[in-house]
Amino acid sequence: MFTDEALDSVEIESLWRKSQQAAQESRGCQTRAVHITEAEVQTVSTSSSWTQTEEPQHQDTEQLLQQNQDDPDPPGLKDFLQRVEDSVIRELVRNARSHAFDGFQVNWEEHNNRVSCLHCLQHPSAQERGLHVTSVSWSCTGSVIACAYGRIDEGDWSTENSYVCTWNLNRQSLNPNQADLVIDVPTTVTALCCHPNQPALIAGGLYTGEVVVWDTSQTQDPVLVQTGMSADSHREPVYQVSWVPLQKKGEFGVLSASSRGQVLLWTVDSDQNAFVLNAAYAFVRQQVPHSSSFKVRGSSTVGVTSLALSPWDSDTFLVGSEGGLLLRCSFSAQTPAAVPSEGQSVTPRAPAVFSFRPRRGPVHSIHCSPFHRNLFVSTGTDGLAHLHSLLQVDPLLSLRVSDSYVFQVQWSPTRPLVFAAATGQGEVQIFDLGRRSLRPAATIEEGGAGHAATCLSFNHQNPRQLAVGKTNGTVAVWQLSTELTEQNPRESSQLEQIANQVAE
Amino acid sequence: MAEVEETLKRIQGQKGVQGIIIVNSEGIPIKTTLDNASTMQYAGLLHQLVMKARSTVRDIDPQNDLTFMRVRSKKNEIMIAPDKDYFLIVIQNPSD
Repeated sequence: MFTDEALDSVEIESLWRKSQQAAQESRGCQTRAVHITEAEVQTVSTSSSWTQTEEPQHQDTEQLLQQNQDDPDPPGLKDFLQRVEDSVIRELVRNARSHAFDGFQVNWEEHNNRVSCLHCLQHPSAQERGLHVTSVSWSCTGSVIACAYGRIDEGDWSTENSYVCTWNLNRQSLNPNQADLVIDVPTTVTALCCHPNQPALIAGGLYTGEVVVWDTSQTQDPVLVQTGMSADSHREPVYQVSWVPLQKKGEFGVLSASSRGQVLLWTVDSDQNAFVLNAAYAFVRQQVPHSSSFKVRGSSTVGVTSLALSPWDSDTFLVGSEGGLLLRCSFSAQTPAAVPSEGQSVTPRAPAVFSFRPRRGPVHSIHCSPFHRNLFVSTGTDGLAHLHSLLQVDPLLSLRVSDSYVFQVQWSPTRPLVFAAATGQGEVQIFDLGRRSLRPAATIEEGGAGHAATCLSFNHQNPRQLAVGKTNGTVAVWQLSTELTEQNPRESSQLEQIANQVAE
Repeated sequence: MAEVEETLKRIQGQKGVQGIIIVNSEGIPIKTTLDNASTMQYAGLLHQLVMKARSTVRDIDPQNDLTFMRVRSKKNEIMIAPDKDYFLIVIQNPSD
């Protein structure tokens, strides 16, 4: 029944080993070497430029006026011109020959032949202490006058405090003996300038070298920003401050000049609590451009006593020094000044570009003409007023103003040929270059000679008003006659002729 | 077209002429020898003045009409020749 059987074994070959062996092949691959080289780039010179779009106000008008020669004329233009040409030319010729209007003058406003004193403002506590008025400035609205008190005859450090007073002349309740606003200042104020757009801001320079901006709308503490005694600030009295329009439209910086030969440009930082030094200019005798015809002597610092901005060229400013130098300077000068570094945050530059004939004695005041690009007038302790052209070394005209010092000179804002000068004898002399004679057209003297007139300022909003500050602590506001304030039709061309003269 | 330029040159060559502006009936300047800013100012202001003068003349006498207008000022004289479609404005300084 059961028998043994032997079965054959079944062999299954291993596929696994074979597949593995079959799949194994070795190959090699290698990427080619990557070539690396090192190179350096360095900028040798950099220049920065900026562009700004202007508001598109006049774009459409400019497009309208594009007179493209290829465009055909509007219809009927030729016929219209043919019709009117003859009559127009006839009228033009007749007008050029006519004498009908010779000497014909119309009085739109009441003709006033007198110069009269409108107000005589004083601050009793300043007068008691015998303070002098060092600077006056009208606000941009033309109704407020700000005056700074101090002393002009000081040589030493002093710890006297002084005042800045403002009066609003258009108020009914004007009291000449009491200022509308009195700001107490710890030292004497040597320079003052009201902001050209914002009536509440006043910039001042102090005897200690500080530059302050007061905000008269803040009753608590009028000091808005102050430079303080840092490495950046001046160490000597600040003789002039001015508001300068900055590159960004609508913003202004404060330019201050001190007798140590420094002119600094400050901007108010965005938090409105500190001054930031924007640019610094220092004057050193060696870097002043010399003209070969005159030698310059003296110490190496050039103490700046007066500063003037040119209303025509925002890059130019004029500087007068204690030694009588008169320099034309540029804001964009790049040469560094040869002064020892004192840890200032901005390197000072030497801005002097051109040197005019030096005067004998400090130059107290310079003013650029608002009617002609190239003219400016300067005065100093030699008692002469020099009319210069920016293009020539020698003055075009020298007028004797007084026998003593002349403290300030300013062009009239309405008559191109008129300027006024405040003298040490107390008079204000007003000169009219259109007159043949070289004597003053008018002399304003307010009784009691012996008190020098230290500063004057025309009111730009109401050009008939002239404010004069004197050493007896009073500020007089004068109303000028019509003759001194109304422009003649030929004045601009006369001024042009004077400017084009070549000095002998 | 060259005649237009020639006519303007002839007028400009008269003694004392400071500038010429041609304005169309809407007050938009189409030809000028002055700079853009002054042209726009003159064109805008004088167009209104001429329309006012014309309406004044016609109110007084409806059969009358404005033929020429001269505005004399301290410094110069402005002459305006009006027409249906255009005005010609010439500024002259007779004492030059």
